[in-house]
Amino acid sequence: MTSRYDVIVIGAGHNGLVNAAYLARAGLKVLVLEQREIVGGATVTEELFPGYKYSVFSYVVSILRPEIIQDLELPRHGLTLLPLPSTLTPLPNGDYLYRDDDHYHTLREIGRHSPHDAEAYEEYGHAMYFMAKAIKPILRMVPSDPSSLDPRELKRLADLGSHFLGIGEDNLHTLIKLMTMSSADFLDEWFDTEPLKATMAASGIIGTFMGPRSPGTAYVLLHHYMGEIDGVYRAWGFAKGGTGGLAEAIASSARSFGAEIRTDSPVVAVVTRGNKATGVALEDGTELNAKRVVSSLDPRRTFLDLVPADLLPSEFVADIQRFRFRGSSGKVNLALDAAPEFTCWPGNGPHLRGAISISPSIDYLERAYDQAKYGEFSHRPFIDIVIPSMIDPDMAPPGKHVMSCFVQYAPYELAEGDWETRREEFGDAVIDTLSEYIPNLKDILLHRQVLTPLDIERITGLSEGNIFQGELDLSQLFFLRPAAGYANYRTPIRGYYQCGSGTHPGGGITGAPGRLAALEILRDLGL
Amino acid sequence: MDEARPTWRAKIPDSGLRLMKSEYDVVVIGAGHNGLVTAAYLARAGRRVLVVEARKVVGGAAATEEIFPGYRFDIGASHAGLFRAEIQRELRLEEHGLELIESPMGALGLAEGKILRLWRDPEAAQQEIERHSSVDASRYRDFLAWVEDQASLLRGAQNQVPPELSPEGLFNNLPKLVPWLRLALRLRGRGRRAVTEFLRTIPISAEQLLDEWFESPLLKGTLASSGVEGTMQGPKASGTGLMLLYQATNGFPAPVRYPRGGTGALAAALVNAATERGAEIQTGERVEKILISDYRAHGVVLSNGQKIRCRAIASSADPRHTLLDLVGAQDLELRVMRRVRNIRFRGSTAKVNLALDGLPKFEGVQDVRELTGRILISPSTEYLERAYDDAKYRRWSRAPYLDMSIPTLLDDTRAPEGKHVLSVTVRYAPYQLEQRDWDKEREAFGDHVVSTIARYATDLPDLILHRQVITPLDYEREYGLPEGSIYHGQMALDQLLTMRPIPGFGRYRSPVEGLYFCGAGAHPGGGVTGLPGRNAARIIARDLRRR
Repeated sequence: MTSRYDVIVIGAGHNGLVNAAYLARAGLKVLVLEQREIVGGATVTEELFPGYKYSVFSYVVSILRPEIIQDLELPRHGLTLLPLPSTLTPLPNGDYLYRDDDHYHTLREIGRHSPHDAEAYEEYGHAMYFMAKAIKPILRMVPSDPSSLDPRELKRLADLGSHFLGIGEDNLHTLIKLMTMSSADFLDEWFDTEPLKATMAASGIIGTFMGPRSPGTAYVLLHHYMGEIDGVYRAWGFAKGGTGGLAEAIASSARSFGAEIRTDSPVVAVVTRGNKATGVALEDGTELNAKRVVSSLDPRRTFLDLVPADLLPSEFVADIQRFRFRGSSGKVNLALDAAPEFTCWPGNGPHLRGAISISPSIDYLERAYDQAKYGEFSHRPFIDIVIPSMIDPDMAPPGKHVMSCFVQYAPYELAEGDWETRREEFGDAVIDTLSEYIPNLKDILLHRQVLTPLDIERITGLSEGNIFQGELDLSQLFFLRPAAGYANYRTPIRGYYQCGSGTHPGGGITGAPGRLAALEILRDLGL
Repeated sequence: MDEARPTWRAKIPDSGLRLMKSEYDVVVIGAGHNGLVTAAYLARAGRRVLVVEARKVVGGAAATEEIFPGYRFDIGASHAGLFRAEIQRELRLEEHGLELIESPMGALGLAEGKILRLWRDPEAAQQEIERHSSVDASRYRDFLAWVEDQASLLRGAQNQVPPELSPEGLFNNLPKLVPWLRLALRLRGRGRRAVTEFLRTIPISAEQLLDEWFESPLLKGTLASSGVEGTMQGPKASGTGLMLLYQATNGFPAPVRYPRGGTGALAAALVNAATERGAEIQTGERVEKILISDYRAHGVVLSNGQKIRCRAIASSADPRHTLLDLVGAQDLELRVMRRVRNIRFRGSTAKVNLALDGLPKFEGVQDVRELTGRILISPSTEYLERAYDDAKYRRWSRAPYLDMSIPTLLDDTRAPEGKHVLSVTVRYAPYQLEQRDWDKEREAFGDHVVSTIARYATDLPDLILHRQVITPLDYEREYGLPEGSIYHGQMALDQLLTMRPIPGFGRYRSPVEGLYFCGAGAHPGGGVTGLPGRNAARIIARDLRRR
């Protein structure tokens, strides 16, 4: 016996860290084990090229739960959130659509494309604000199990039912539509302008292997609408120093409560005795003991890789086996010699400080998906761009820039060839697409890093490169995430818990799974 | 009509006004099968009922017409396999002339160089699947049990009036909830797993559902095809799994039951059942307007100008036509108007009816019985998805999914001796074509369908005596199916139950008092089930008793 902890948390992604911080804050002796040399998981900042720092994977922060920021005193630990005030959609015809935090400016700009849409935009904003508010309590609760007859569960279910009935019949209908419709259909009910619909729909497809016309994507649209910075809905932002800055802040908070964090410590197995987790085994053979073990890895790794299958009920194993990952996105990180020059908006304007979305029309996005569903990366992909160095000068040398491109679609498995041989071809498709809007891009390009779903899997451990640790579709949400009967952060093995994005309420930098899991563990401990 | 053949025609007056009265309890708009079911039930309940049908033929989209002398073509539905046994029994349709001929075949799946005979008999089907994949064969029985489990719950839900989603609606009238609570208890009674499995299944796609069970592309393609009926979606779309189960509510694989004389014979039997109880049917006359005063519907105006007063109106026409054309904007709230305009119809179906000089030779078919069910060209889910891709961008499918039947194999009343009728349902044929016009494309489309079939039955082109091509536009113009939507609105998850036909009006009562929905646009939706008509009749009868 080498040492003794109350809890060992596997993985120092943001959810693992949040989980550890909450447990340490409650007085437990916590150890976090991270395979990589840095903490953060998919929330890391790395200096890929000398002087150029990147939020390598996830790149914007918005849905981080405010109670976590407060409870963990993250600002005191160095978290500074910088606003991301606008979205530019450049168009192939040289025009653009630009929305920013000046509401009236945005309405005028949308009105330039369609006066009707400007009117609808206002109403839509109210409706979505209300919807996001209505659904938010769900993000704060442990999913109730509709199959249970336990009085506590039944009460939770009844509370949930009355909460939703309470929002009123019309709103409930809208909610049903949001939960079931495609983002294209949902937005069609409101708007006419293609780039507006497409850019909004794009937030409904991020991280899923579905197109804007696939039913179920409207929900993801709402999921992304729940961004909250300082109480303002639908506000996105950067963490200063990249998303790694966020992970560092949470890690620092956890340490301040007494948690220990070890990097370069890959866990290869959870050690069990009888039907109880008693610790973990590291790659180097070390065994560490703990009363409880929490995995922040995705469900496939948590259950199919780390624990012996014979400890799990066969139905549960089948559920995890059919849980769908299907990574659909890649990332291309660029180092630029100068600011990019857009055809539609020359010069260094405010548009470069916000998000830039290559999503000119719904058909454009849908065609990108069409290619991917048959196993080819999109030759004209949806790209979501941010240039953090515009706002945070520490990210690149003076006058130079880092440009982060989230790219969709890139299927995990290619029908022809493999990612090892086709990685750069994928990068070229992204550069070529961007060059249609940024003619000087190739001239100012200094370095590029191309990350395929396979790379994301290899580096971060996310199965099939799925950034949400499993798709956010209705059959994998709430009490079904990751499997019926085990959505309450517990597992079939006593003392073994789960706290990653593969659990409720799912992916994105929310910290909610980590926090909710911690609260359940503390409840089991009677704390 | 040939005297030697059994008469299946209903006793309907020809067009021209022969109304006995100018006042009725209920006027039913449209003599499609649902309208007739409503009429028959209400007449049985002692109500004075008038059915008004714009066309000269009853049956709506389930009509059979002699387009070419001697050949009876099914205009829409090619058989009545989904029709509910309880309706057949309650309305005594057999006594009224309905004879259903059931095929031993469920579906015959065709692929290039391969064939899959999905017999209704599980053992025979399992043996056949064995030829394609022994893993799939070993799972087939479990799959059937699983489907039946899920489908039986759907059946329960289909017979109920959807709940209202408001505290007042739910709790002020608890008896309305009782059937749903009973259904929930039934589900729970099967164990925890059943509950979560059912809920999980609702949003998944047909492809995902089948991928979880099987590996053979032909088996999966053949089964997945029923998940995209009546919708403009491919098999990867959420909700198509549920539609697959919807098509399985009378058994799996879905039974193929031909009414003798054609699908229209079902409508004829319904007419007979209704008129026997005093209902009147007026064909060849269109309802032009619904009369409203004091926010109540109290009558209709016919195309000949005659006004007919009534206490209730049941419209089996689609909800958009019913509300926007027959009621009109001046009598609707703005938010209701919006919801009506937001109904997604998106017809995706066309039909090609062929009169044949003989039976085509389908490659690989050994026994003529194999051709008596549905003959499907849907060799894989990918094929189906690609067919949808074309329609998404407003083209008809270059490689379409075809659902064929040859009713003449089991019913000699449909064509002269030795001749055959091949009825082909084609998907996808989008209502709107990019830069083209269905009126100009009709025959090219027909040729395309024939040449697609000819890949599997090379002698087909030489056997064709007559051809009828019905495009989505024709369905709209001739048969009143909006945008050619055979289900009066897509069967998508957001257009079901309480949300069907428009959110908040899923209980057959329309936003106008006294006006009811009783067609496929209402719960549980499309297909020749008769259920919207039956459920609506229950609500109308109840409301009439109260007033």
